Parts: sequence; C-alpha cells; structure tokens
Amino acid sequence: MKRTTIGTVAALAAGALVLAGCGGDSDAPSADADGSPTDGGQSQSLTLWLMGGDTPDELRDYLRDTFAEETGAELVIEEQDWADAVTKLTTALPDAGATPDVTEIGNTWASTFTGVGAFSDLSDIYDELGGEDLLQSFVAAGDVDGAHHALPYYFGSRLIWYRKDVWQEAGLEVPTTLAEFNDTVTQLRTDDRSGFYLGGEDWRNGISWIFANGGELAVKEGDTWVSSLSDPATQEGLAQFQQLFTDASNAPATESDSTPWVNINNNDDGVPEAATIIAPGWAYWSIGLPSEEDPDVLEWDDETFGVFALPGTEEGTVAPVFAGGSNIAISAASEKQELARDLLRIIFSEEYQTMLAENGLGPANTQYLDAFVALNPTVNEAAAEAALGSKLTPAAPGWAAVEGATLLEEFFGKVAEGGDIAQLAAEYDEQLDALLN
Amino acid sequence: MTAVPSAPTRRRSWRRRTVPYWLLVPAVVLLLAGTGYPVVWQVVTSFREYGMAQQFGQPAPFVGLANYLAIVQDAGLWGVVVRSVTFAVVAAFVTLAVGIGLALVMRAAWTWVRLVLQVSLLLAWAMPVVAAMTVWIWLFDRRRGVVNWLLERLGLEQFHRFDWLAQPATFFAVAAVVVVWMSVPFVALSVYAGLSQISLEVIEASELDGADGAQRLRYIFLPMIRPVVAIVLLLQLVWDLRVFTQVKLLQDAGSQSGRFDLVGTAIHKLGTGVGDFGMAAAMSVFVLLLTVVLSAYYVRVLLKEDAS
Amino acid sequence: MTLTNARPARPTAPPAPPRERSPRRRRPDRGRLLASVVGLVVAVLWVFPVYWMWSSALLPNRRLQSFTPNFLPTGGSLENFRAVLAGGGFLSALGMSLSITLLAVTACLLFAFLAALAISRYRFRGRTSFVVAVLLVQMLPAEGLFIAQYKLMQGVGGLESVWGVSLLYAALVVPFTVWMLRGFVAGIPAELEEAAMVDGLSRTRAFFRITFPLLAPGLVASGVYAFLQCWNEFTIALVILQREENKTLPLWLRSFVQASATREIDWGQVMAASSLVAVPVIIFFLLVQGRMTSGLVSGAVKG
Repeated sequence: MKRTTIGTVAALAAGALVLAGCGGDSDAPSADADGSPTDGGQSQSLTLWLMGGDTPDELRDYLRDTFAEETGAELVIEEQDWADAVTKLTTALPDAGATPDVTEIGNTWASTFTGVGAFSDLSDIYDELGGEDLLQSFVAAGDVDGAHHALPYYFGSRLIWYRKDVWQEAGLEVPTTLAEFNDTVTQLRTDDRSGFYLGGEDWRNGISWIFANGGELAVKEGDTWVSSLSDPATQEGLAQFQQLFTDASNAPATESDSTPWVNINNNDDGVPEAATIIAPGWAYWSIGLPSEEDPDVLEWDDETFGVFALPGTEEGTVAPVFAGGSNIAISAASEKQELARDLLRIIFSEEYQTMLAENGLGPANTQYLDAFVALNPTVNEAAAEAALGSKLTPAAPGWAAVEGATLLEEFFGKVAEGGDIAQLAAEYDEQLDALLN
Repeated sequence: MTAVPSAPTRRRSWRRRTVPYWLLVPAVVLLLAGTGYPVVWQVVTSFREYGMAQQFGQPAPFVGLANYLAIVQDAGLWGVVVRSVTFAVVAAFVTLAVGIGLALVMRAAWTWVRLVLQVSLLLAWAMPVVAAMTVWIWLFDRRRGVVNWLLERLGLEQFHRFDWLAQPATFFAVAAVVVVWMSVPFVALSVYAGLSQISLEVIEASELDGADGAQRLRYIFLPMIRPVVAIVLLLQLVWDLRVFTQVKLLQDAGSQSGRFDLVGTAIHKLGTGVGDFGMAAAMSVFVLLLTVVLSAYYVRVLLKEDAS
Repeated sequence: MTLTNARPARPTAPPAPPRERSPRRRRPDRGRLLASVVGLVVAVLWVFPVYWMWSSALLPNRRLQSFTPNFLPTGGSLENFRAVLAGGGFLSALGMSLSITLLAVTACLLFAFLAALAISRYRFRGRTSFVVAVLLVQMLPAEGLFIAQYKLMQGVGGLESVWGVSLLYAALVVPFTVWMLRGFVAGIPAELEEAAMVDGLSRTRAFFRITFPLLAPGLVASGVYAFLQCWNEFTIALVILQREENKTLPLWLRSFVQASATREIDWGQVMAASSLVAVPVIIFFLLVQGRMTSGLVSGAVKG
C-alpha cells in the first residue's frame, strides 16, 4: 500500500508540474514588456471591461468589428461581475501593466474613482461625443471640478408597474400626483396583498419620495459635501416613505430591492401578492402571465399589467427617480490613450447609440431616445419620461464608501420600523459626514 | 516516551542536530514567500492612513494608533465582537460534539452504513460554498422554503412565511446551522482517522478485561483521540471566528445592516466596501490579537502537553 | 510485535456453535444496529442540500421560483447542464483549477509533512517559536489581504500565472496542514519505530514500513481539506487571475449568479454549474476514500 501511495503522490506531483508549465496564460503584460506599446500600432490591442451581461452580444460584435475596421487594432472585451468589479478595479486600475484601457463603471462608483484620479480627463472630446445632449445627471456623476472624467454609457430608470385588473376592481385610476399615488396604493392593501410592495431597506426606490419633495441625501456646501438627511424636504420624503411602508406594503423591514416582480405575478394560488411595484424598465421581461405554449415562460399581457412613471408632487410632472445605469471612462494609467478615445468615438456614434436604444438600454445621448421609445411603447415612453427627470446619488468622492458601509440600508430600515425620523436623521448625518469627502 | 538512541560520534550528532532544521526549510521558505509580505504589509498599513487615494498613488501618511483608537471607540464594533465570539464558541462546540458522535457511530455501525455515511459527509463537504449557501437560503426562504413548509405541516402555525433572516437571533441561528453542517464532515472524518489509529489489540485486550461499551469509550477511545480533538477544536474556534462567506451571502439575501455583521464581514465592509484599507488592516490585527488572547490559555496547555 | 488472532482461543470448548452466543456478544449487535440507524438518518440529513442542488439543476428556473417546494425533479431535463456547458469556459476553468490545486496541494503536503516530522520527532531550538508562528498566521483574517497579495504578485511577475496562485494557496494551507499532521504524528508512538529498529531495520525503512502507513489517514484527511480550500478559493483567484481566459472554477461559477438588464439570474443554471464544479472533487474523494480505508486495514493489522 505504501508503494502505491508514494507512486500516486509522485504521479500527481509530476502531473501538476506539467500542467503548471502549460496551464494559464502567462504572457501577462505586466511581467515582460516585450516591445513597449506605441500608440496607433498595427498589432495593438485595447481592453474594454463591461459590467455584467447588460451589453448584448450583438453590440459587442459591432464594437469589435467597427474598431478593427477603423483603427486596425484588436478590441478585447472582458465581462466583469458587478459584485466583484470594485475589488478588481481597485487592484487593476493603478497598475499600468494590468489596467483595462476603457471600462464601464457603475454610476454610483463613478464619483469615487474619478475623485482619486483613476480616469483620464475627457473634456477635450466631450463636445465631440455629444456634449450637452448627453444625460446630464450622469455627466455630473463623472465630473471633478468641472472636468469630465467619466461619461454616461446607458441608463435605466424605475417605473411603477401595476395590476390593471386589481386596480380596476377597486375602481382606482392611474394617479396624477404623488399624494394621489400614496393614497391609492394604501387603499389597495389587504392582509394577503401589498398595495405597493416596498422593502424597508429599499433606499434606492425610497429616495424617489425624497427627491420628489425636493430633498437631497447630501449637498455640496462650498468645497465640502454635507449630509442633508435632516433637511425639512428630506424629512417630508422620509415621512411619506415611512407611511407607505407601514400602510401600503407587506414586505419585510429588512428587504432591499431584488426581485420585486415575483410579487406582481400570480402566485401558486393564482393571485398577485402585490398590486403595485416599482422596478427598472427591464422588469418587463419578467412580468406576465404564463404563456399558452409553455407555462414556464411569462408573457406580458396588456389587460392585466400596466406601467407608468411615478408622478411628481405637482400634477403633470414626473417624480425624480433613481436612475440605474453606467458610465464609461478611460483609465488614467492606460498607455493607449489615443486608441481608447477612438473606441469612445465609436461608442458615442449615432449607430451605436441607436443600437443601445433598440436593445432596451437607454442611450447616453438623449437625442436617440426616440428609437428607445419606439422599441417598446408600452414601457419606454414612461421610461424615457422618468429618465429625463431622474437623479443620481450625490457625486461626492466618498459616496461609494457610504454605500459600502450600507449606511442607507440601515437608516431606511430603522425609519421603516417606525423610528423617530428626526433623531435617526441626525445620527446618520454624522456617520455620512465622516465618509463623504 | 523512551529516549532516542544516543549518537556516539560527533559527526552523527551534528547531523542529528541539523536534521530538523533541514526538514523545516521548505515550509518556512514557502510561508515567508507566500504569506510573509502580505502579513507584514497588513501590519504596517494598520498604522497608516490608506484609502482609495493611496491605492492610486497618494502617499500614505503614518498615523500611529489612530486607526486602532477609532476601532476601539466605535460602540457598534464591540457588539460585533461579542456576537462573533459567541457564535464561534457555540458553532465550534456543537460541531465537535456532532463530529465526535458521528466518528463513534461510524466505528460502531455496519460497514455499508459507515460507507454511506462517509460518502454523504464527503458529498456535503465537496459542495461549493456558493451552491451550498444558495440551497440553504432557499431552504430557509420565507415563502419558498422547505423549513417553513415542514414546520407548518407539523402544526407550528407561527412559521407561516416566517422570515428567518429578519432578526439577528434567527439570522445567526441559520448561520450556525450552515456552518456546523459544513464543518462536521471534516471533524467527523479526522476524528475517525484518529480512532482508526488505535490498534486493535488494545481494544481486544480491554474487551477481554470485561470493559463494556461506555467504559471503552471513556477510558480508551476518548483519551487516545485527545490530541486530534484538541487540535481540531482549536482550529474550529479560530475558523469560526473568521467566518465570512457564509455570513456575507446570508446578508445579501437578508439585510446588510450592521447588526448582522460578524468580524469577517465588518472587515470586508471597511476594506472593499468603504475603501479604508488602513482601518481594515487595523481591524484584522485587532481580531488577531483578540483570537490570541482568547486562545492563549488553550494554546499554552497544548504546547506544554506537547513538550512533555 | 505480532498481533494475535482476533478471537481469543478458549482452552475448553463446550459443545456450542462456532460463533459465541454469550449475553455479552448480543449487546454489541444491538449497539451496532442503533449506531447504523443513527448513521443512516444523519446521512440522509447531511446529504439533503446536495440532493436539492442536483434536483434543482434538473428543473427550469420558473419552477424553482414557485412557492411550493419541488421535492422530486419530475419533468426535469438536462437543459440547464447543456446551457451551462454551451456557454464555454468550463473546460478551461477546470484546467486552471486542476493545475493550481494539484500543484498547491502536493507542495503543501510534502512541505507540511516534513515540518510536522521535525516538530514532533525532534527537540530543537526555535521549535516552539515555529509552532506558535504557524498558529498565529492562521488567526489573521484574510479579508483585507488581497491588496498586498496583488502587490506581491505584481512584484515577482506572478500575475495571471498558475505558479503565482499556487504559491499563495500553498502558503495558505500549509499552517493548517502542519498542525493536523503534527497531531497525527504525535499520535503514533516512537516505540513502534524503535521496536522495528531493534529488529534490524534502519530508521528510514522502519519509518516507511511502520509509521507512514499509520499516517496515511491523516495525510488523506489533510490533503482532502487542502484540496477543498484551494478548489473553492475565490478572492485570491479574482484578484490575481483577472483575464477572462484564466478564470478558475469558482470565478466561472460566479458569473452565473449575475442579474443583468436583459436577463435575471437563472437559478437552475447556477445549480447545474455548481454540480459541475463539485464533480471533480467528488471523484477525488472517491479515489482517496478507497486508500483511506485500505490504509487503515493494512496499517493496523500488519506488524
């Protein structure tokens, strides 16, 4: 037995060494610099990092082909997981040998990375890429002292999805003001069904009520960012949030936004567990009734489901909701600055922007919103409306830290549980102030 | 222990003296190469201000004990520490009890049952953590979960749609169940391996002497597996204090609020979350010191025994 | 040191059947029955989540979202597995994980074994310090180390390489392995070797014939643990192997737990992918499982 054990170990070791020799792509650019890269070279390659599967394959192929055509260099696209992107960016961006040349970046992280100088200044080509036509809230997220370091890539906004059948049964109509909305959904609540499904820690949706009342999470006073949770306007919004959670929602106080559409679809008993939900535009694909051909697939039904943009406090206006989406930027450590700019020109071209719109992603350049709306008139008209009025989280350098410390989840959770809003706001103002700058 | 045979010649005694050092060289070199730099960096960084700005090129000023003071003064942190220690102690002891019990069961049961049990433990152990956590989160899901479904069927109506992850108490109960489930296979198999080293003749002799099962357990088995059990218990305590992935994934499913943090997730929040790597380093060193303090007595006992 | 026959010979043989049927013999049988029942119940409980994973891998995502649990995968299919493998990346991730893990585990077992020998069989200066250092290293939380590990690899040119990750992994599991093996070596009295040496064997031969087989279960247990640690490790691989073609299996698996604008997470595929990641480990286990039991038998019975 001992001989065979030793034999096995030896074989394993030998095998491992052989595999080690031929396994893994060790021609890492960081290790040996065989031929320093020169801009505009023939056998060059550019690396683009995309977050998640949001950009469809069709668009990726278009980018690769067009890029090769126009510059003669190869475009390498690497997909990153949203959850781990920050870890990878933190280690790779400062390293000239390993950094991606161009990267998509979540809009809430953009201000943190631009704040530490991770991205190049794009002000020189800003107008060429679209200038004022670009979604301004996203442009602001990538600004540092007026210089543009990260520009919008695509957006999605949050909409109100509702069960037409349930609403009609209760004799209720689509509200035109925010107050009306709050009332309507409160009326719709029963023990088994939320009038409006809203989790207690769901701040990304909850802040729509803060924004709608004119409040802010943080404002810039002079050179410093200051938390504004105690502002009267913010407090008003929080009070509405608290009331909605208590009176209209059956969701747990510890839930944040994940898969709200589960609640508006019929459950196993054939009834929905929520009459209304708030979700991004792409929820469209997950909402519906079981189709006839395949009960495992859901199909949207216009009679059962409807969608509208959350109304503002004044009739005829739209509430500023939290805009989802990403920015795009060039790594400051990249050695291929010109080539990277060429890629951006392609991304902001009319063709690509229209393609984004046609695939259900709100284009950065608001000029091309028509294609976006035309794609899915049911949803996207409301989506476009909501997007134009949308707001982002404060563009403070420490905002990513605030999110990383899950302070808002905690704060909203405590408010939802019925805490004293003014007191909690003062407490969390302090904690936010410590991290914002 | 009998004395080692003496080496009469000076040359042989020199060789004997250096043999242990040569045996240690590979491990020491490996540790220095793979762990040395990161650990030293961690300790040094704990005394500096090191955030995202420093990662991107800004100098990292030396701030002395500022990070440590911030940690010690944070009220929320002590709650996290107490919770972590409680969790680690409970989980480790339950794991040990179940693991030793299973090892004894494996020894006593019929051969085919032992194999079935070993295979089932191995399958559980082999499961990737992400997959295991996903399944456990489903099992405890308030709407889709098997646990609630079963409890309701058994007549416990209060478990209808019960949200296990909503309160810290039940949240950590679930975490403990998962951690114990994941750790028991290792303990059971290691203790069983230890049991199997006990030579048959010792057991036969005791049977001849008239010892029954319980006495054999107390006087033969338990003392002879003491070295293995002692080490495994210590390791379980250390690991359960550092548990991270399981709690993080449970938080992602439930709430990420601070009262659901243990030290592992708290450090992660400081590092990857907030980007304050200096503080994260300080907290890591703090947890290290805490672990040392808590296990000091135990370790000393182990070392003394070892030296005897 | 010979082992006498397991059944003690009785001087007087009463006219009884060959198997003794004294009252004392019956009690162990009942004990064995009880132990077996308990063992089976525990086995079912322990393997249930694994079963759930396999069963869910066979079902479509929509079914998995329903509020009544699906205990049996009725109407299931291999569609999820097909979809997961069609995406590509599995084989290369498998190759990476295998090469890294085998290299790291082999190095670890070898080095740790030598170190454990040194610690348990010899007395020398610095012994206690080494033991304490090895213990301390395991107590440091790993969550913040990735920055330093990246810088280390950057410095030695180990980024995107198999050997770089293996180095970090081996260093990660060696402390624990040293501790485990030390316990096992300590559990084997040196007298065994002494006795064999009295019989004329050299120290090395005595060691390999007597001690090493008894150590096999310990080596296997530690090896299996080290294998698992390396196989499932995530953060180091994430940071050192950032290029898509260099992913290990945990990174590959992670990409399935990813919602996006155009699709939500397909949990059936996640479970199928997880099952695939677990398969090589199970194969490895089954291989060494045999060695473990055979090692026990030969080690305990032979002289």
